[in-house]
Amino acid sequence: MTLYRRAAWAAGILVVLCVASLLADYVIAAQRAPQDDKRIKSLQEQVKSDASLAPNLAAEQKRITGAHLARKFRDRWLAWSLIAASAAFLASAKRLAPRGAGFQPARVASLPRSSPAPRSTPTLAPGLDLSFVDTAVALHGSGIESAIPLLQAIQTHYRYLPDEALRRLCELTEITPAQVAGTSSFYGQFRRSPVGKHLVRVCHGTACHVSGARQITEELRRYLAIPDAADTDPSRTFTIDEVACLGCCSLAPVLMVDGHTAGRLTPAAAREALKPFDQEPA
Amino acid sequence: MTLALVVVLLAQAIPYQRPVETAPQEKTIGGGYKTPPVQKPLPRDYWLQMADVALLGAATGLSVWLAIKRRSRKGLAWLSIGSLAYFGFYREGCICPIGSIQNVTVALTNPAYSIPIVVTAVFFIPLVVALFFGRAFCGGVCPIGAIQDLVVLKPIQTPRRLDRILGLLKYVYLGLAIFFALKPGMARDFLICRFDPFVGFFRRTGAPHMFMLGGAFLITGMFVGRPYCRYLCPYGALLGWCTRLARRGVTVTPDKELDCGLCARACPYGAIEKMRAVRKDCLYCARCYGSCPVYRRRSVSGAGSLDVQGSDS
Repeated sequence: MTLYRRAAWAAGILVVLCVASLLADYVIAAQRAPQDDKRIKSLQEQVKSDASLAPNLAAEQKRITGAHLARKFRDRWLAWSLIAASAAFLASAKRLAPRGAGFQPARVASLPRSSPAPRSTPTLAPGLDLSFVDTAVALHGSGIESAIPLLQAIQTHYRYLPDEALRRLCELTEITPAQVAGTSSFYGQFRRSPVGKHLVRVCHGTACHVSGARQITEELRRYLAIPDAADTDPSRTFTIDEVACLGCCSLAPVLMVDGHTAGRLTPAAAREALKPFDQEPA
Repeated sequence: MTLALVVVLLAQAIPYQRPVETAPQEKTIGGGYKTPPVQKPLPRDYWLQMADVALLGAATGLSVWLAIKRRSRKGLAWLSIGSLAYFGFYREGCICPIGSIQNVTVALTNPAYSIPIVVTAVFFIPLVVALFFGRAFCGGVCPIGAIQDLVVLKPIQTPRRLDRILGLLKYVYLGLAIFFALKPGMARDFLICRFDPFVGFFRRTGAPHMFMLGGAFLITGMFVGRPYCRYLCPYGALLGWCTRLARRGVTVTPDKELDCGLCARACPYGAIEKMRAVRKDCLYCARCYGSCPVYRRRSVSGAGSLDVQGSDS
């Protein structure tokens, strides 16, 4: 990368130099032209009265023509080097631009390495009690084979996998952060972001899909004002999860709020199904 | 640009007598001096002009093939480099459909003004292609487009409303160009040619203010993709109308591509709306395919050679 950076800088400087010298050349020539014209004119006048001055006029004209041709030659080379330098600048600058800049695979957050400053996410409880991780490790063992039971236990306890808990887990066991990140993002059962107070599972199985599960989900997301990239509403009351099957196709489209099932939904009925949970005192 | 071509051709057609009363004659010079026979630049050979037209057609066809069949950003980037070198720097921008609007306008209204078949062909080929495949001429063939396409470095996504409003300028420009081209006699002015910001680069000569304008366009073009094409090009207005009938063109489909939206982010011209290419605005650069993970995977082996493929997304 540094090679391209250096090449881009060199070519860029060359571009600027070429433009500057072309400009300077133009300005100097434009300033000289009236003087030269005047001199030629006065010489012509003199030659009319005194023919012996003719060689002077010829020499002057030759000088001006020579200067003009030299400038033309110089400018042609400068123009070509400007074009070449611009091409080199663009080619190397394009190399510098990161491929697919800003692109991150959706929902796969990287596990922070052992950086001292934890990310200050507002969703994180500041005084997260990590002692459960120690208990869980004591119960399931600290080998790599216990990774999934441990993650499941942590998820059951905290309802998601908090970064702090995972970091603690890596300290206590042989499991590496990479393995934790890989496992927790591979299985659908693990979630890395905090879950709302109530989990709404909208069935997207075949029967529900055909009867409009998509519209139900969209309506709920709109109703709860859930942003596009998130699955939990801003007040952290409901988390919407799209699941493969709830096992009651006869009720399609169907959703479950925690343990309660609501079936044969319309978008309006889906909103109604959430109401009782919304009104619960926090 | 075409103006120069037409002037040369007209000069050939009309018997033009040089006013030589004041110039020194062979007799007055004496000493057996012979005036050299050729005093004006010879026009390009007719077959060479036809070859240029054929080349234009072939390049447009190649652009269609590369975009629709091969879906290759790399291919189109090389094609535009080639077009810039030939139609731009070698032919000095002088086989130009944009300028030919004016010649065609005058020829249609003024029976005394006739244009050669070359100009007519150059005017119609891209329009006819646009009727079927969209603006294939804009990407990969038009040297004015190519020079702007190659300088795109870190394009920003311009707000759509601003895009719309600025896009109206090209209709104003088209109207003005036709208005001035229709003026009679000496008042006739070919605005498009006179204010072509890039032809100075192609010819390495020109008025300093036009160079400054062209430089400004190119520097803007590093961050706002192809400003001349999107906001000013009068021929682009005509092509845009033609694309309304086009059945095929650059498409972003869920079948061949993914619906992941990377293409919309890679498009420097704001021509992908709701993950589908807008035929009217699509300038056939194929950056959408260059950024597509589907084609990335395929071209991993050749990714190191020339990094034009979506690297400027």
